[in-house]
Amino acid sequence: MNTASRADALARAASHFPILGPCSAEDLLEVVRLELGHAEILDGFRPYGANFARAYCLSPLLHIVSGNTPHAALQSLIRGLLLGAQNRMKLPSEGLPEVGEFLSLLPAGLRDRATISTTLPAEWLREAEAWIVFGSDETIAHFRSQARPGVRFEPHGHLFSLGLVASPTPGAADAAARDISLFNQKGCLSPHDIYVRGDAAAFAAELARAMGDFAATEPPLPVTVAEAAEIHNVRANYRFRSASDARVKLYESEDSLDWTVIYENDPWFASSCLNRVVYVKPWPEGDPSAALGPVLGWLGAVGIWPSLPEVAELVAPLAPSRICPLGHMQLPPWSWHQEGRQNLAGLVRWVDFEADIR
Amino acid sequence: MEHPNLHYQVIRYIEHGEGNFADLLVNVHRRQRELCHPYHEYCKGFPAPSTWREIPPLPLGAFRWSRIATFPESETVRTFRTSGTTGEGYGQHHFATLDVYHAAAMAGWRRAGIPGHRVIGLAPPPTETPHSSLSAMAGWLVQPEDFFWNQWERLADSLAAAEEPLVLFGTALGFLDFFEFLGDRALTLPAGSAAMETGGYKGTRRNLPKEELYALFQKHLGLEADDVWNEYGMTELSSQFYTRGLKAPHRGGSWVRGLVIDPSTGREVGVGETGVLVIFDLANIDSSCVLQTQDLAVRHEEGFVLLGRDPSALPRGCSRAADDLLSR
Repeated sequence: MNTASRADALARAASHFPILGPCSAEDLLEVVRLELGHAEILDGFRPYGANFARAYCLSPLLHIVSGNTPHAALQSLIRGLLLGAQNRMKLPSEGLPEVGEFLSLLPAGLRDRATISTTLPAEWLREAEAWIVFGSDETIAHFRSQARPGVRFEPHGHLFSLGLVASPTPGAADAAARDISLFNQKGCLSPHDIYVRGDAAAFAAELARAMGDFAATEPPLPVTVAEAAEIHNVRANYRFRSASDARVKLYESEDSLDWTVIYENDPWFASSCLNRVVYVKPWPEGDPSAALGPVLGWLGAVGIWPSLPEVAELVAPLAPSRICPLGHMQLPPWSWHQEGRQNLAGLVRWVDFEADIR
Repeated sequence: MEHPNLHYQVIRYIEHGEGNFADLLVNVHRRQRELCHPYHEYCKGFPAPSTWREIPPLPLGAFRWSRIATFPESETVRTFRTSGTTGEGYGQHHFATLDVYHAAAMAGWRRAGIPGHRVIGLAPPPTETPHSSLSAMAGWLVQPEDFFWNQWERLADSLAAAEEPLVLFGTALGFLDFFEFLGDRALTLPAGSAAMETGGYKGTRRNLPKEELYALFQKHLGLEADDVWNEYGMTELSSQFYTRGLKAPHRGGSWVRGLVIDPSTGREVGVGETGVLVIFDLANIDSSCVLQTQDLAVRHEEGFVLLGRDPSALPRGCSRAADDLLSR
């Protein structure tokens, strides 16, 4: 199969997974074109400056996926298959059924290029030419220390994301509620905090309404006891604070832990316990990097409302890897430089050809 | 309304079982609601309790943000501080008298069945850490010359020379440090000796399963698991829960009770089920007698089995966790 036929088959399978967002064959080929310079450069020599070049994928690729967000695993697998590599994917111990379902939708010639397992065979580590590792700092550090010299190592650490509502016009709260609620807020593109220019307290009330509306149509996924305990604890703490501090207000779903909105008149970034618990804070006009200092370097996406250049300019100095419209945070384009890096470019080896064509 | 005899009544209940837990707790709660303004405001959000189980539990964060006390600042005789490992500053527990805390600590120790031998301290003495509630308790149990915090060579020599049974009292971290100091060395304590470990590894990024820690007690001190007690307490409380060995639940005195609550409903879970631990501590007479902890526990017929705040059970995904912020 050449690159175009692989892209076509992958796009057809991806269409069964709404969590992947738009994923056409053209989207995938465009990523190859953007990152490698030519959509067919994996299939043969193509012009490269004054000469020619061809990209060979590193193979086999080892994907190590942790956590329980299937879209990261699927995206990584799609990239590896798009390149034409043999792929070996180590899944979390409880598995990710979506990966097996995705593979079952591929034609045999492509499906055979992926093997998944909840264990990590020693030969996978020994034979892989590149390791793509998703996980916490500890997970990444562990595998980095295990990688033999010469192996390409592509780490994907955990990130924080946030929203900025520069003008709380109608629709902003519903857009934010969508970004917060999808995947129970566990994705790296899920906002922990929504910053607001203007009346943040009023926006918090509006966001609470929107969170309730979203939960009514798309109820949250079940949470573990430990997760419920965290929500319970966060709510209790803010219930206490709000009782005697007008700068803090708690909004919560009644008789359930479905959603929680905490307004806090302190721009210091607050890390959410996730599962649809979000903070609303005033945007620090003077020095955003001071209030957001703890997350700088780990900033994934910033969803902005409205999505205008002047609003993007406000957050660009914080160096997130992605600035996008609020409401679309969970649907990154395939060309997104995840963690500020290209996704395919590190997984190929180049062969240059200087032809004698004088 | 003043409650001049309440401290006395609580001490009598702790030491002699005189009175009724439910009545005393409701009275203590009413007094706290009257005299502690932040708690008063907090309680407005709850219906008035008709039984002690309905008293609104105060989250531990309250001790960081507000002065949780029934007396004016000028009457404070002692303030204990939390370790501050949550990264949001210290929690402070103020005392107008240490009499009730002392009564609860001593009675709890006795009731736990810990042998009444000479106690050796592997915790800092109260003179070094005046804001540690654990050190204050150690100061009542350990003679000044029997503190060996971070003096592991002197401790090893002293233990090797001991002829009478001892009780070693310290934090899990202190014991671990001492065991690491010993290396391959094994001491033999006099028969009947015991140990009491508490604390954990907060803020250190070190962790050791209880089974492994207790195996080290056996290896280095010759103590079987049943010779080792664990104490569960916290700065914001005045009473402690104890368990012995690896399997038994934590239990406290009659004046302190732990209910395991379903965080989704706020109702007590069934026996064998997991929930959040809420503690009703009569000895917390001058702060808050009902605390919502951050710890998970399994309800047991005779107490609870502590699970703690299990990071591996917390939300997972690719969103970064708060701990990563704190480690910067």
